[in-house]
Amino acid sequence: MNTQTQPVVDLNEDQRDCYQELTNVAMGQAADRLARLLDAYVVLPIPKVNLIEANDLRMAIQEVEDESAMSAVCQGFIGSGIAGEALLLFNDTSFHDLSTLMNYPGELDRFAEMELLMDVSSLLIGACIQGIGEQLEIHFNQGHPVILGQHCKVEDLLKPGNHQWTKTLAIEIHYTLEHVNIDCDLLLLFTEDSVIKLNDKINYLLD
Amino acid sequence: MATNILICDDSSFARKQMARAIPPEWDVEVHFAADGIEGLEAIRAGKGEVVFLDLTMPNLDGYGVLETIRRDDLPAMVIVVSGDIQPDAQERVKALGAMAFIKKPIDADKARAILSEYGIMAGG
Repeated sequence: MNTQTQPVVDLNEDQRDCYQELTNVAMGQAADRLARLLDAYVVLPIPKVNLIEANDLRMAIQEVEDESAMSAVCQGFIGSGIAGEALLLFNDTSFHDLSTLMNYPGELDRFAEMELLMDVSSLLIGACIQGIGEQLEIHFNQGHPVILGQHCKVEDLLKPGNHQWTKTLAIEIHYTLEHVNIDCDLLLLFTEDSVIKLNDKINYLLD
Repeated sequence: MATNILICDDSSFARKQMARAIPPEWDVEVHFAADGIEGLEAIRAGKGEVVFLDLTMPNLDGYGVLETIRRDDLPAMVIVVSGDIQPDAQERVKALGAMAFIKKPIDADKARAILSEYGIMAGG
């Protein structure tokens, strides 16, 4: 046990509701951009907001099945002392329809999939992060996106020990498209220290 | 006489934001509902002459509310207030009978502009 006095990382119902609503607006902006890119309708879910132990990340992801083959990208972001990582988990069965909608020429090999994955992730992650940032008056700088893996099981993509923090605020957004087989899961993970600062900003909005 | 307006949104934060965006000079009585089912109950009880309706809600979403209002011919003028800003979403709710669409995050200026554009706020 840590005996040092530290601010308690906590999340009450009003704060959770507020994060959910801010995410709702941001993911709508991201969906709008994706819908225009693919000329399709994006079905918007209710985002899930949870404070979790980093080791329990897999348990927190509700919308991804154990056996699905997935590819994933992660991208860090930082601004106003708030830092986190965005993780896009993309179901491999989605690539076929995605390449069709994006009029991707040529064969759909591993490299083509990587390119499509990068395009979609930069759009969705960028719009979501900036959307949340705008509402909280934070300018987030984004790091380079990194491919975490292709054609993996989700548990292998989320190996414990990759993160420097214990508790994290996890926001999960499950995007699906209407009439086509495309589905992906966007996770926004904020570091423990960031949650305290974010909560301050949220409390100000709730006042 | 005060107009009965209903704010129907599953987020208490969003309900407060919407309530704050209502022009102060508009003579209204404000009611709240946290999902589509509660929303329809309130409308049937006459509490929703003007309804500010969210789309993404548990139990019954905004589309379901619009469908029921139309099917049962309920007396409600609906303004959809949503973060789903896809062109398709706006067309769908208009086709289902919504008068107007306000993009979230809502603020007082947007609300005032829509209310006067559609002549919803008397004297607005």
